[in-house]
Amino acid sequence: MSGTAGAATPTGPAYVGLLALPVAGFGLLVWGLLHHSLPWALTLEWVPSLGLDAAFRVDGLAAQMLALITGIGALVFVYAHGYLDHEPRRDRLLAILALFMLAMVGAVSADSVILLFLFWELTSLTSFLLVGWNHADPHARAGARQALLITMAGGLALLGGLILLAQMAGTWTLSGIVAAAPGLRADPRLPAALALVMLGAFTKSAQFPFHFWLPNAMSAPTPVSAYLHSATMVKLGIYLLARLDPAFNDLPFWEFSLVGVGTLTAVWAAALALRERDLKRILARTTVSALGILVLLVGLPSPSAGLAVAAFMFAHALYKAPLFMVAGNIDHATGTRSIDHLMGLRQVMPWTAAVAILAGISMAGLPMSFGFIAKDVITSAKAEAELLALVSHATVLVNATVVAVAGVAAVRVFWGRPEFPRARVREVPWSMRLPPLLIALLALEFEFLPALADPLLLAAAQAISPGLDAGVLSASYRFDNTLTALEITLGLGLLLFLFWDRLHALGHRIHWLDRYGPAAAYEHALHGLARLAAAHTRLLQHGRLSGYLRGTLAALLALACVMLWLEAPPLAWPAPPPEQAVAWSVALVLIAAGAVAALTLRDRLALLMASGLVGYGSAVLFLFAGAPDLAFTQFAVETVLVVVAATALRHFRGEAPRLEEPRLANALFALLAGAGVFLLLLPLAALPPDTALSDWFAAHSLEAAHGRNVVNVIIVDFRGLDTLGEIAVVAASLLAALPLLAGLRNRNHAA
Amino acid sequence: MTPRSVLLDRIVPMLYWLLLAAAVWILLRGHNAPGGGFIAGLVAVAASAALAIVLGERVARARLPLAPLPLAASGVLLALVSGLPALFSGHPYLMHFWGAPLEVKLSTVMLFDLGVFLAVWGALAGFVLALLAAWEEAA
Repeated sequence: MSGTAGAATPTGPAYVGLLALPVAGFGLLVWGLLHHSLPWALTLEWVPSLGLDAAFRVDGLAAQMLALITGIGALVFVYAHGYLDHEPRRDRLLAILALFMLAMVGAVSADSVILLFLFWELTSLTSFLLVGWNHADPHARAGARQALLITMAGGLALLGGLILLAQMAGTWTLSGIVAAAPGLRADPRLPAALALVMLGAFTKSAQFPFHFWLPNAMSAPTPVSAYLHSATMVKLGIYLLARLDPAFNDLPFWEFSLVGVGTLTAVWAAALALRERDLKRILARTTVSALGILVLLVGLPSPSAGLAVAAFMFAHALYKAPLFMVAGNIDHATGTRSIDHLMGLRQVMPWTAAVAILAGISMAGLPMSFGFIAKDVITSAKAEAELLALVSHATVLVNATVVAVAGVAAVRVFWGRPEFPRARVREVPWSMRLPPLLIALLALEFEFLPALADPLLLAAAQAISPGLDAGVLSASYRFDNTLTALEITLGLGLLLFLFWDRLHALGHRIHWLDRYGPAAAYEHALHGLARLAAAHTRLLQHGRLSGYLRGTLAALLALACVMLWLEAPPLAWPAPPPEQAVAWSVALVLIAAGAVAALTLRDRLALLMASGLVGYGSAVLFLFAGAPDLAFTQFAVETVLVVVAATALRHFRGEAPRLEEPRLANALFALLAGAGVFLLLLPLAALPPDTALSDWFAAHSLEAAHGRNVVNVIIVDFRGLDTLGEIAVVAASLLAALPLLAGLRNRNHAA
Repeated sequence: MTPRSVLLDRIVPMLYWLLLAAAVWILLRGHNAPGGGFIAGLVAVAASAALAIVLGERVARARLPLAPLPLAASGVLLALVSGLPALFSGHPYLMHFWGAPLEVKLSTVMLFDLGVFLAVWGALAGFVLALLAAWEEAA
């Protein structure tokens, strides 16, 4: 929240530059719409070896989304200037908002499914940063994490679904998948693919049972809530469903899922709205409800449903964004968003009250508003689709709640006896009055001059329902159905509004909802995951070195047994070339001596030397077996290790402590492990060595890579990328170990 | 502090430079004879470790061309950069070039191997010096 104390944050060139982004985007969009006919397409070569192109395509639906993203975006940027007037990190918030806007622009204009997925995830990521903006607030952190986990998990499902669809259709573009859809009907993978895509869309658009993240995301600063969580990002799921709808809307599976989930979400969220007291959370619940209605509309097979989706998506953005800004204004001026403490604000905040009334009218769907037109189109679409009576009644109930919420947001808090001393509460600055007023006036203007919005709406509707007739738009303004439905809704809504407090008290008493709802299930899963990780870590990472060693050797042994049991390979005794017999014997004696000494010696330093002897013995073996580089490395490593460890041992005098371990069992285990490894190596010795690779390297080393040392040439040239990765790991391991090593020093200081 | 040996105090600083010279020699001969960046890096680590054991971890740290982590990072960076000329001339990344300006055979491979050398030296010396420092304090 922005405080009222302290100096105002200065407006720098960074702010102007960031504000220019959405303004320029909106200008460009309008210019494009005036001068070029839709759809616009752009295809760039991306990964030709995979047949993957960076394909972009903007049709009517995408253009409508783009208009919302850039248009509302520009006004939100202006609004945020006032809302965060004392926030020193304001430009940073706007930079993330700008990144989010670019991601949204990318997501709605992408035709390639991979690009769509990337931009989709980028919107989730930026949303995470924005919800968690007030990171000192634990609610904000929890809300941000919840939004991220749910939408990202859905994003993964979406990726799977999109890849499946792309593989079935043989193309990576959405338009290609839609075009190829008739041929996919018989494919047994289709239901799985569509279910995965729906999962992605439902999580993003906060559908039941994933609806709970959206109200919790209200910890974000209000410009973010108005922009991401009502006007744009949460519509992305609807957008994708609408995009795929022309291809699959005659599938019963598709229709039932969308209509079922959409209806359930709309009703459930409307009921939950009655339990809230926080103005923003009430609005968020109705947003979820509206998203449910949109999903339901996408699922309807009638062609005019496309028009209803386009109109309602537009209308919802035009009334919900200003209402969020109203909530933000109230919060900014009074410091609270609880409707219990807000009354009579009309007298001190007349401009905000005017905006609230304008937007509220549209939200309630009263005549003289764009919301009314949307309601009308929806009613026609539902009448055409022969909906189940249950669904029909449910939506009436939802609409009544929406009317009641509009009353709460626009009437209740502004009328009545003021509770605040007038001197303390002041109207917000102009930068916070104008943006919501402009949006609300725009919605009003579209009612009187529908011709302004019609072309865009029609283009969007035709993108969803290609068969839609151009004449349907004007013809659908019939209003006779709507007026009857409106009277019922308004009557019910008025009742809900009047009994709001009593219903709230009732809803608040239903405690089982908090214990068993999907939100509680999410919390359980999250805690369960932490508990599982803790138990698993305690079991495996107990910190006893001998235990680790036993586990590793046992796994190796088991592997050896399985291998020998599956297939008894020929065994052979490895024999050294006769001229190297002496060298091998020396090496073996060294190794054996080191091992025996390590078993019998008790002095720490002597033990260390004995283990070094084993390393030196292997180095001798490498030296004579034709691997001088390896021997060289082994000598150097062994020397550094022994010297460094010996330095450490200077600090521990006396004998090594007796281990409290069963010595006999350990000895037996070690013998077994040694025998197992030995058995594993015998079949390897029996295999005729495949020299194809080493011959190739030997032949090409000097000629192609100008080096006579084949090992080094492989390291730095032939397999240079591997080496690059290895040294990066070596350097990164130091980076990771430094905090641990510093902890070691701190412990010494403390001791 | 453990008692110091006069002999080691005199010899090891000389040994340090000798070992580093050997490391550079191993690095440069690596392409045609046993050697190369990895081994050279290990020898340099041995030099740093010897210095740290005799004269203290602080002295050895100060003798490194950079602090351990930046040293390791610069090595990785050098190896990364050595592949760029190939990229800019339309060849696959990390394809190497040879040339002999001024009668000395030079190549991007040498840059790469130098990067390996620095990465190993910086990272492992970082481990060794930090451990020695912890033990020195514990003593």
